[in-house]
Order: sequence, then C-alpha cells, then structure tokens
Amino acid sequence: MQKKDSLTLILLIALTTITAIISGFYNKLEIIYTIILFLSAIKFLAVSFQFMELKRANSFWKVLISIFLIIFIGIISILL
Amino acid sequence: MKKPEINYKNIYYPPGGILMWILITLELITFGIALIALVAYSKENPELYHESRLKLNTSYGAINTVFLLVSGFFMATTVHLFKRQKFDKSLFYLKLTMLGGFLFLALKAIEYSEKLNLGMSLDFNTFFTFYWLLTGFHVIHVLVGLIILSFLYFSLKKRKTQPKLEDVEASAAFWHMCDLIWLLLFPVIYLIL
Repeated sequence: MQKKDSLTLILLIALTTITAIISGFYNKLEIIYTIILFLSAIKFLAVSFQFMELKRANSFWKVLISIFLIIFIGIISILL
Repeated sequence: MKKPEINYKNIYYPPGGILMWILITLELITFGIALIALVAYSKENPELYHESRLKLNTSYGAINTVFLLVSGFFMATTVHLFKRQKFDKSLFYLKLTMLGGFLFLALKAIEYSEKLNLGMSLDFNTFFTFYWLLTGFHVIHVLVGLIILSFLYFSLKKRKTQPKLEDVEASAAFWHMCDLIWLLLFPVIYLIL
C-alpha cells in the first residue's frame, strides 16, 4: 500500500467533509460557492493524478484533463 | 517471472490505455455540459432551483462521495499489488473496492426511494429532471463498473486465466471515472445551486 495514496485519501475525505459543512452553514454566499468549486477541483485532480496515475502519463493527458477542469469550473463560476 | 513494463510516458499508453482515456474525456465533457446546462437553467428561476436543491440530503451525497473515494483508494491499491504480483492481496482489495460500489448503490437506492415517496420524480420540476437524469446515468456507470470489476475478480481468482496488467489498469480507470464524474455532480447538484 503506498503512503501517498493513503495521504491522498485522508485529504479527499477532509475536503469532502469541509465542503459539505460550509455549504450548510453559509447558504447563498458566492464566495462560499467559489471555495466549494475550488476544493472540488483539488479533489478531482487528486483522484486523477494520484489514484489514476495520470502523473506518470504523457503531458498531453495531464494538460487535457487540467484544461477540461479549468474550463468547467470557470464556466460554472461565471454562471453562478 | 519478469515484471510487465509499460512506457506510460508514451502518448498512446496512458495508465488504462488510450481508448479508456478517450472514453473518460468524452464522458467528462458530456456530464460537464449537462451540469453547465443545469446551472444556466437555474438562472431563469433561482429560487425554485435553490429550494429544490435544499430538498436533497447533503449528508447522503457526502457519505456517497466518501464511499466512492475509499473505493477508488482500494482500486488503486489493487493495481499496485497486482503489479507486485501479490495476487491474493490484490483480490482482497478488489473485493473491498466492489463493496464500496455496492454501499454507494444501496445509499442511492434509499435516497431515490425517499424522493419518490415524497412525489419528487422526474417530472416534479426541471431541477429534479436534471437530478434524476444526471445521477441516474451516473448510477448506470457504477453498475457497469461493478460488472467489469466482477469479470476482473473471477479472472484474478482463476489463476490459469490471470488478467494482463493492461486489463487491470483499464478496469481501474473505468472505476475511477465513476469517482471523477461524481466529483463534478456532487458539488453542483447538492451544494451550490
């Protein structure tokens, strides 16, 4: 079992808990929504780069997934 | 026995294979566009979407996220152990991976039945149309993922038909894709509208 995977899992669970809690406490605050999206983006990157081993892949795949995420989060943030 | 080696730095050989990554990219774009459409529609009637979103159980969503993340961690461990040719341990972690998937589906079934009992079905309002379609398609992906993992499980169990590393990685990539899609769905549907 790799230590980095375990640390990533702890980070992911912590971020999930934080996002769920702050969404309940501070409804309808745009800055909170932005923080939730940002934390979700970190989780997305952690799963793809660590668990899916994208970190070992050709740069093309890393850039492709990163660009997708930036565009997605960007559009959602603008629409909110 | 010589360890299998794949040059992951080659553009044609990302972990899981190029076809799986083309599929993952297309799936992410499809779900991404649908989620953007959901947020765009919510601007037409923000109160309705906000009130509808508050009818969802955030705890269920968060617990299901943890189920998928832990399951993804076990899947990554399964692949690492398979590479080291520790097949018995690999099989054990694969079972834990599948358990995570079944727990996700069980909680989803509870959530769906609660919504249906309250009359919040597909045609309740446009928010719930998006909710049912997006989470429903995701559930189908999880079911397909579990079927793929079942084949992998029986293949690993029968030592004579040991799967190739590429097959294990492709199965793992599909399973992780379910995580990635959920990581897009959860914040948008359950937390921010």
